[in-house]
Amino acid sequence: MGPDAAESDVESARDVLRAILPFQSLSAEALEALAHAAEEGAAAPGQTIYDVSAPATYLYVVVRGTVRLERPAPPDGVHAARAVGAREVFGWHAMREGSAGAELAKAAGAVSLVRIDTRFVLEVLAREPNGGAATIEALLVALSTPAERRAKRAEHEPHRRRRPAPQRALSALGSYVVSVLRRPETYGRLLGYVLLFGGWYLAVDVLALPRFTKLPGIVQVGREWLSPDPVFGLSIHTSVYYDHIWASVRRIAIAFALATSLGVPVGLALGASTTFRDYVFPIFELLRPIPILAWVPLAIVVFSGSETPIVFLTFLASFFATALNTRLGARSVEPHYILAARCLGASPWQAFWHVIVPGSLPYVLTGLQISVGVAWFSLAAAEMVSGQFGLGYLINTSYTMVQYPTIVIGMLTLGFVGFLTSAIVRFIGERMMVWRARELALTAP
Amino acid sequence: MMTAPIVWKSSARRLPASEVRRGAIQIVDATKFYGSGASRVLAVDRCSLDVRAGEIFVIVGPSGCGKTTLLNAIAGFHELDGGTIHLDGKLLCGPRQRARLGSDRVVVFQNGALFPWKTILDNVAFGPIVQGTLRRADALAKAGQMLADAGLRGYERSYPGETSSGVKRRVEIVRALMNRPAVLLLDEPFRALDALTKSVMHEALLAIHARNRGTALFITHDVEEAVFLGGRVAVMTSRPCRLKKILDVDIPYPRARSIVTSKRFRDLVAETTSVVHEEALKAHALGEKEG
Amino acid sequence: MVAHATATDAVGRASKLVWPQRPRAWSAGRAQRRAVVAYVVALLIWQLGSTSPRWLGYPLPWISHVPTPGSVAVAWARLVSDPGYWRSWGASFVRVLVGFSAAVVTGVPLGLLMALSRPVRAVVFPVFELLRPIPPLAWVPAAIIFWPTQELSIDFVIFIGAFYTMVLNALGGADGIDPRLIQVARSMGASRWNIFHRLVLRAVVPSILVGMEVGIGITWEVVVAAEMISGGGSGTSTASGGGLGFFIWNSYVGGSYPQIVVGMASIGIAGFLSSAALRLAAARFTRWTAAR
Repeated sequence: MGPDAAESDVESARDVLRAILPFQSLSAEALEALAHAAEEGAAAPGQTIYDVSAPATYLYVVVRGTVRLERPAPPDGVHAARAVGAREVFGWHAMREGSAGAELAKAAGAVSLVRIDTRFVLEVLAREPNGGAATIEALLVALSTPAERRAKRAEHEPHRRRRPAPQRALSALGSYVVSVLRRPETYGRLLGYVLLFGGWYLAVDVLALPRFTKLPGIVQVGREWLSPDPVFGLSIHTSVYYDHIWASVRRIAIAFALATSLGVPVGLALGASTTFRDYVFPIFELLRPIPILAWVPLAIVVFSGSETPIVFLTFLASFFATALNTRLGARSVEPHYILAARCLGASPWQAFWHVIVPGSLPYVLTGLQISVGVAWFSLAAAEMVSGQFGLGYLINTSYTMVQYPTIVIGMLTLGFVGFLTSAIVRFIGERMMVWRARELALTAP
Repeated sequence: MMTAPIVWKSSARRLPASEVRRGAIQIVDATKFYGSGASRVLAVDRCSLDVRAGEIFVIVGPSGCGKTTLLNAIAGFHELDGGTIHLDGKLLCGPRQRARLGSDRVVVFQNGALFPWKTILDNVAFGPIVQGTLRRADALAKAGQMLADAGLRGYERSYPGETSSGVKRRVEIVRALMNRPAVLLLDEPFRALDALTKSVMHEALLAIHARNRGTALFITHDVEEAVFLGGRVAVMTSRPCRLKKILDVDIPYPRARSIVTSKRFRDLVAETTSVVHEEALKAHALGEKEG
Repeated sequence: MVAHATATDAVGRASKLVWPQRPRAWSAGRAQRRAVVAYVVALLIWQLGSTSPRWLGYPLPWISHVPTPGSVAVAWARLVSDPGYWRSWGASFVRVLVGFSAAVVTGVPLGLLMALSRPVRAVVFPVFELLRPIPPLAWVPAAIIFWPTQELSIDFVIFIGAFYTMVLNALGGADGIDPRLIQVARSMGASRWNIFHRLVLRAVVPSILVGMEVGIGITWEVVVAAEMISGGGSGTSTASGGGLGFFIWNSYVGGSYPQIVVGMASIGIAGFLSSAALRLAAARFTRWTAAR
């Protein structure tokens, strides 16, 4: 073997060592020293490298070829064998004191190897700035058997008894209620509600103020809403009420899902790519100022059926809001994050995926909340103008059929369901941005 | 089946010394304008610098004098209008030609650029993972080790927003070094830290640099910081930026905090300060003129 | 400042650094050229799609039902000389003005009041948040019942639409004022009125202006919808509706589909003009206050 080939073996040994845990964090001098202390050898197919009974003093690195390691038949009769290939290290048991006879190593084909005396390895590690403590610890972990590892983990984390889930939830709820009752704002809120509903009651039922007499009173609405046999056929006990709610919710769900799955990618592209923005944004901005409801007749003409136009209109409103906010989010990602990612070797696409997408999430989620609100706005309007079933339709037909209490039921239900969907979107959003919640928790006054 | 025993040969051999150190930079006649047309401003005027491989080269100068421009050109963030930059003998960028962005020259930013949405561990392992040089599990393990070696064990699962700025800075340096860059570019990285944290950072940086074998290019205002860290300190003129003077800090590494009181250190600081002060006055006058 | 310019120049726009660089020689005006290309392509798609039965042999789904660009242009040319068309413009604009002004005049003070007075906020804000999710258009029937004239009911609905936005923006703007500024002013001996007048109002104005821009967009949405619903959708065929929304609905009912598109475009332009006018006024106003 000429000097060049030998030198390349050392270099490849060093490269292999560097790529192998736990030698990666070693300094260049340590790796140099290890590489210099290495010895090369070659084995023919079938040749034994070390035997079960041989004393274990060397760590082996496979440069080329495959080595087969076999354990002696353990008591339970399972014969364990594995193969190590190029750039892999074996013979680890030599690092543990007093272990011998762990396995038999045999060359599976023509093999070229490098070996290092483990005492030297330990010496080099000891000379490292931190005493190579981390490396040694990682080695010990790598060398320990699964049983040992489990025992170690158990001693670090004592087993905790956890109360059953329902019990925990209940106590959490209890403490939340108590904390709410303690805050002064709660009483302000109650006062506000009392004023609102009380005022309504006074204006319509008690004082019978001039314009208010035509409106349904709170008592009438409440009675109608809760009655098992409502005068106008709609209350919480009738199924038609839930049919209307479901019709609206279903349309919102479909439209919102479509708008999000289309709006987020489009928004990201508009924000991140000048080319895309140059071609698409002009059309986008041309169509956006047209109020959604202005699309109603065209939508009815273009789309067949009664469901599609409504879903389309809701989708359109949502889409614009989502895409616009997502675009804002993509553009507001600070450039130094992108530069940092590129510096660290990321390609433009990787920078997009790892930086722009997560970085724009806060804006995207705000956009989604706005989008849900806008969706309800458009849906209610669209349902009032055309279509069958749905809360907007309910409100409209109640008016034409002079069923005034039902109008109010419809309005309040609409408000409540809208609020619920908003809260759901916000909740999901906050779960997705754990990092931001934690950050904000630290800076909160 | 036992065959003839394997013959083992020792491979002890000396390797060429130059292979060990990387990151020699040569800047020749760098020129950069900002703006265009009549309001064009000459920011860097035929500046030439030689950074030796493996050294910590510190650049000091008044603000706005164009030091960041040189760093950005090396990193590949913008191009020079004139002059060339070579890295380890190979052309990095020429006039109107931007250097390729790459992990052989990693920047540590002034305001920190740790990704807030990734955990510390994910941040540090980012480089090798996106480049594909290590498998994900290996990269994470190596990241954990490097963090432990830097004294940051226990922070792996935290998010950057939850940690102090000292921790963040160190993590960012570790993240850069995961890629074994030839050049570490530090643009006033410790500017926003308080004095106590800064001194901890200085020692950490020196320790980390000793292990890395690459070159570090460090920009700062703080003359004491410059002399403490640097092997050589270059003082730049106020706008337009040109090399005014290079001082050799002949205090040997490794440097302990105690050298700060030594006579040699104080002499160097005084000398550097007077040179910088001259330029700072000029810059101030310039700024006042422009209102 | 050169230092700032250095950082900005050096770092550059995010989008340019994610994607590879292009030579800068011909980039001036590139965005405008591409926009033109985009419009032309869109127009082509519209033309080809809407006339697809003729040249393709069978109608493409959806797009073939859209009126052709030619018919829309013809209809628009005809309408421009029709005074009724311009009256619709006027009617809508008047409603927008009335409803929007009412929203600003009531919403901003309420928002500021809530920001400055804790008890008011504690009582009013929950009620506000309770009613806000109800879409403005859901109020239409209740408004028609309550108000004596249809015009007032439409104005009321429009008012509701913009009201929430104005309150939230005024509130948000006032909340965002750094409390330290107020402390500094207090320590310098400023009276409460002075603080309010110089500090709070000044700081809140940008938020209010943003709110107005958003609000006017919502206002147009509501105007169109309210005109359609009360003038057309509810089945009552009163001609007092008027306005562009009613115009669109009427065109649909009357079967003149190209006019629908004309109406849509008209409203889009009207909305755009309102926003632009608002933006100009806002810019003028901020310059004026800054100069004082």
